[in-house]
Amino acid sequence: MEVPETVTAALADRPVDGAHCLEAGAGAGNATAGLIDAGAAQVVAVTNEREHAETVRERVGQEHPDRVRVLEADLHEIPLPDDSVEIITAHALCNVVPPAALDAIAAEVTRVAAPGAHLIVDDYAPLPGEAAMRDLFAVENAAAELAVGRSALTFYPARVLRGIFESYGWTHDRTETVLDPVPWTESHVAAHADAAQEFAGDAGTAGNLLAERAEDIATTIGSESTGEMYSLAMRLPG
Amino acid sequence: MVRTRVRSRMQTRPLGTTGQDSSVVTFGAIALNWLEQEGADQMVELVLDHGMNHFDVAPTYGDAELKLGPKLREYREEIFLGCKTQERSYDGAWEKLERSLDRLGVETIDLYQVHGLEYEDELDEITADDGALAAFREAKDEGLIENIGLTSHGDPSLVLDALDRIDDLATVMFPLNPVVDAKDGDEYDYQAVLDRADHEDVGTLAIKAFAGGSWPPTAELPEHRRPYANWYEPVDTPETIRDRLNYTLSQGVTSVVSPGDPKLVQMVLDAGDRFAELDAAAQRAVREDARHDGSPVPEQLHH
Repeated sequence: MEVPETVTAALADRPVDGAHCLEAGAGAGNATAGLIDAGAAQVVAVTNEREHAETVRERVGQEHPDRVRVLEADLHEIPLPDDSVEIITAHALCNVVPPAALDAIAAEVTRVAAPGAHLIVDDYAPLPGEAAMRDLFAVENAAAELAVGRSALTFYPARVLRGIFESYGWTHDRTETVLDPVPWTESHVAAHADAAQEFAGDAGTAGNLLAERAEDIATTIGSESTGEMYSLAMRLPG
Repeated sequence: MVRTRVRSRMQTRPLGTTGQDSSVVTFGAIALNWLEQEGADQMVELVLDHGMNHFDVAPTYGDAELKLGPKLREYREEIFLGCKTQERSYDGAWEKLERSLDRLGVETIDLYQVHGLEYEDELDEITADDGALAAFREAKDEGLIENIGLTSHGDPSLVLDALDRIDDLATVMFPLNPVVDAKDGDEYDYQAVLDRADHEDVGTLAIKAFAGGSWPPTAELPEHRRPYANWYEPVDTPETIRDRLNYTLSQGVTSVVSPGDPKLVQMVLDAGDRFAELDAAAQRAVREDARHDGSPVPEQLHH
């Protein structure tokens, strides 16, 4: 069970040991792995994608059946009681949440948080204007808009996410940079090109053009180190 | 007319208690083995122009000692000379030391190192009464060498043992790079070696800073088809080389040894001239990059 350093760094100053935790939007279960590694009593990993749920069960759940629960559910309706978790992570979650959905998720996360709970939101700052990766994300978003009627990715400034959670009563603890620059390696670039092409497949006649463009951009970029990943830590009053 | 040149000033760091301030990049003189004499002379002029003042050579690097000789003798005062031997016995070490002095054509070697310690029993051998270190110490008393050092690609625990057991080590040379740093486990924990060496004021020289990964198996890529003369497949773009150098120096080592292939040396010199310390987020970024590079991870959108 490998824990990425972005997760380790973000959790390092949080009281995870013995805590009841929630990973909101578990992709590969990286935060779940990090929380378990840091001594969490229990982690509930919530994801709305079956494939992700299976990955998390395989990567982390099998080894820690008593401490990890993987739930397939929508973050708009987290199947947990009010005030029930002490640590909540949203590791690289918000960039896949469209602006219109963000507020409802913040409300739901706040509902399940116990008084005094900690929230850790790790995400990417908006990419600098000159970044070549922006072109790839732009194509991915254009294809997603045409295919499913919403953007695939939104990079929120830390201040924006902080503001939304503050409006639900969370107080800001710290913001720190965990990656600067962000290494978009060949495997990341290829994965985003694939994602763009998949959306493009459902994007009607414009799709062909977008698919081609995604491929071209990915080939040109290869890999690029650009932008910043931050970790925002907040607390609910006790 | 002799051209008077101003050497550029690559940053230097104190090399343990030797009194030497070494340039943050050490010249790995194995690069000379791949050049004809004229090219070797030019290479030495080049690295000196960049302010490199610490050279490292070995008798096992083909004829690098012989090719280094002429320029080394011309600029002897400017160069802190490291050499080494793989001999583990008293007699063997004396023989190789005299041979190196002869081939280099110099009176003294500033740093003579036990080369490539790999196994615990070798440590017993070199520390025995008839071991290599006895010869090193005699040579030091006679003024043939100034300092004693040790190099190893071996397990970090072995290097730690060597630091425990050899009181008069002035330097240690060991692998350090973000690929190894990104891995968990004691067998990758060269940071522990760095910490111990720092604690004991032993100078630290990093090797393999520019290693990408192992070469593909020779069945797939025969040795004569490899594009570089390194033991490992090196990183080879200016940006990556700069990241690697900044990263390794940011861990606090005294100096990073330049890669063995002469084609890469200029990029490393340039990176050395512009060395800038990386903060925690930037160091993490380099490790993340190296981690993803080394492993064909399944489709991964995020970090």
